[in-house]
Amino acid sequence: MSLNQDRVAEISQSLFDRRQFAYFLLDTQWCVLEASNNLQEFGFSNLEVGVDATDEIDFLVGIDISDNHELSMISSPAGDPIRVTFIPSVSTITVVIMDARQEFLRQKQLQQKANENELLLGTQEKLLSEIEEAKIKLELQNVELQEAARLQSSFLSGVSHEFRTPLASIMGYTNLLLKDSDETSANYLSAMKRSSKHLLSLIENLLDHGKFDSNEIMLNPKSTELAEVFSDVELLVRPLAETKSVNFTITTDWQAACFVVLDDSRLRQCLINIIGNAIKFTDQGRVTVVASLKDDDLHVSVEDTGIGVSEEHLKKIKQPFWQAPDTGKSGTGLGLTITERIIEMMGGALDIDSSEGVGTTVSFNVMAPSIEPTFHQEAQVLTQFNRSLSVLMAEDDEDIAFLVTLLLEEQGVKVVHVANGALAVDRLQHEDFDLVLMDLHMPVLNGYDAVSQIRGAGNTTPIVIMTASAIEADKGRAQELGCDGYLVKPVDIADLLNIAQQLVT
Amino acid sequence: MVGDFAVGKTSLTQKFVNNVFSDKYLTTIGVKIDSVMVDDTKVIVWDVAGRDSLSPINANYLVGAAGIVFVGDGTRPSTIDAMSSLWETTVDRVGDVPVVVALNKHDHPDWSVSSEQIIEFSNRGWDVFNTSAKEGENVKSLFESLVHKMN
Repeated sequence: MSLNQDRVAEISQSLFDRRQFAYFLLDTQWCVLEASNNLQEFGFSNLEVGVDATDEIDFLVGIDISDNHELSMISSPAGDPIRVTFIPSVSTITVVIMDARQEFLRQKQLQQKANENELLLGTQEKLLSEIEEAKIKLELQNVELQEAARLQSSFLSGVSHEFRTPLASIMGYTNLLLKDSDETSANYLSAMKRSSKHLLSLIENLLDHGKFDSNEIMLNPKSTELAEVFSDVELLVRPLAETKSVNFTITTDWQAACFVVLDDSRLRQCLINIIGNAIKFTDQGRVTVVASLKDDDLHVSVEDTGIGVSEEHLKKIKQPFWQAPDTGKSGTGLGLTITERIIEMMGGALDIDSSEGVGTTVSFNVMAPSIEPTFHQEAQVLTQFNRSLSVLMAEDDEDIAFLVTLLLEEQGVKVVHVANGALAVDRLQHEDFDLVLMDLHMPVLNGYDAVSQIRGAGNTTPIVIMTASAIEADKGRAQELGCDGYLVKPVDIADLLNIAQQLVT
Repeated sequence: MVGDFAVGKTSLTQKFVNNVFSDKYLTTIGVKIDSVMVDDTKVIVWDVAGRDSLSPINANYLVGAAGIVFVGDGTRPSTIDAMSSLWETTVDRVGDVPVVVALNKHDHPDWSVSSEQIIEFSNRGWDVFNTSAKEGENVKSLFESLVHKMN
């Protein structure tokens, strides 16, 4: 069935009227032979019969049409999207223009979204790759920082060790000289003793700081009588307060024989640091310490009427190595840093409140679970032995060896001194001793190897390490090798005798 | 103007023809046609929709081209790697016409193009320009170079 020409014309006219498409006919030289009436609706206003179409329509320029060809989405001269179809025949080309606005909008929505998503995906991949690179870089930096921290810690430990040995000697001989000195000499020697103690405390602070950085600080909580700790601290700091005529009081709210579980030596260290600072920076007035124990929480407040700290300096006061300028006071600037870190390790917090020219209040709390006393603690006294002890001492520092020998012999101990680990091993093969005192760092054969050989030979004589190394790793290694005690120089002779008493049967 | 999507074909064209630039990304659908005079030559620029993962370049838009500007995004290496395959599509349809290359977004801090790629394009006889439609860098030189090669 076919439509008659009238019907075709009618349908064509109807379609033209709906402006959905237009057309024009060209000869092979691009001359317009025929054009639909509605071309103007698509912006082709000058396309009249007889004109060269390439003069009017840019998209025809240079185009080579030898077969059916279509430009599916192109802008009309009016700026609207159109679809252009070229239908060539032997001598003419029919160009059909169709409205493509709906198709344009549909594609635009889809394509815009798809392209934006792909761009976002690309950006995301790039960012993820950058994050990965940054992560690798950070990990490398972290390794480098850890190595730097390890080297710093190792350096501090080394310095501490090297300082501690001669200092032990200075302090020991100063004590000996003090025994038989006249008043003037005693004053000079006391000054030397104070300076040596100060130097030792600086070294210990440096070492502690290094330990915190390498996470080597370990707490050793044990049953502790609080009154004893505060009494010890008071005995230590009161002379300083009296020298400066500062009114010093300690008030506690517990009964005698109140036992708690905490690391007593670290608590002493914190109290001495804080109270010592308060006295140091108070030239007149008072330093008041108030301590209370409630619900397993020890709260201490130290209030002074000293020079105080400005608001600006208060922000920096806990930073390592920071010291307030122009105070005329010496120190490492580490005391408060270390104190705060210890308090945090003990489950508490440190707070400082200060007004410049008025005074400072430092308060802190630490966890202190109460406990029933499990043993009776006696005041430390020099141990007396029923018989004369024999001690083999391996120590390469002649001054220290002489000092310890002198102090032990004063207590009736017989001492044999050798200068290295090899000589100690050899001596123990031929002679029995009650106790061995062993330095760690010695020439020929060091303390570790000597202990290893002694234990390897089946010798069970108690061995006490006596070293300037205060690092936990050395202590741990000594224990692993079978040592029975570990003392850090400068060694307190009372500690040494107490250990001897526990070890020697 | 041929290249992947969002490399800056429309931005380079609009900068050259109308001296305008917009940061907003608007994808081109189909082809946009503009004309401009370069000296005595009327240049009709076919700004062809970029290739994307869903659709290839519509080769019908390349028919009759007298020269090609390949555009890549200097911050997206894949768009520069894509030029070789785009060239195969193009040469298949229009023959060995003159080519210039725009490595666009040269103003962007992430711009990174290997010298090996530039040497490879140069060895093909293509003039390579580091362009910035945003700053106008090398935009005029890019088109003038192509017109010179076509003439």
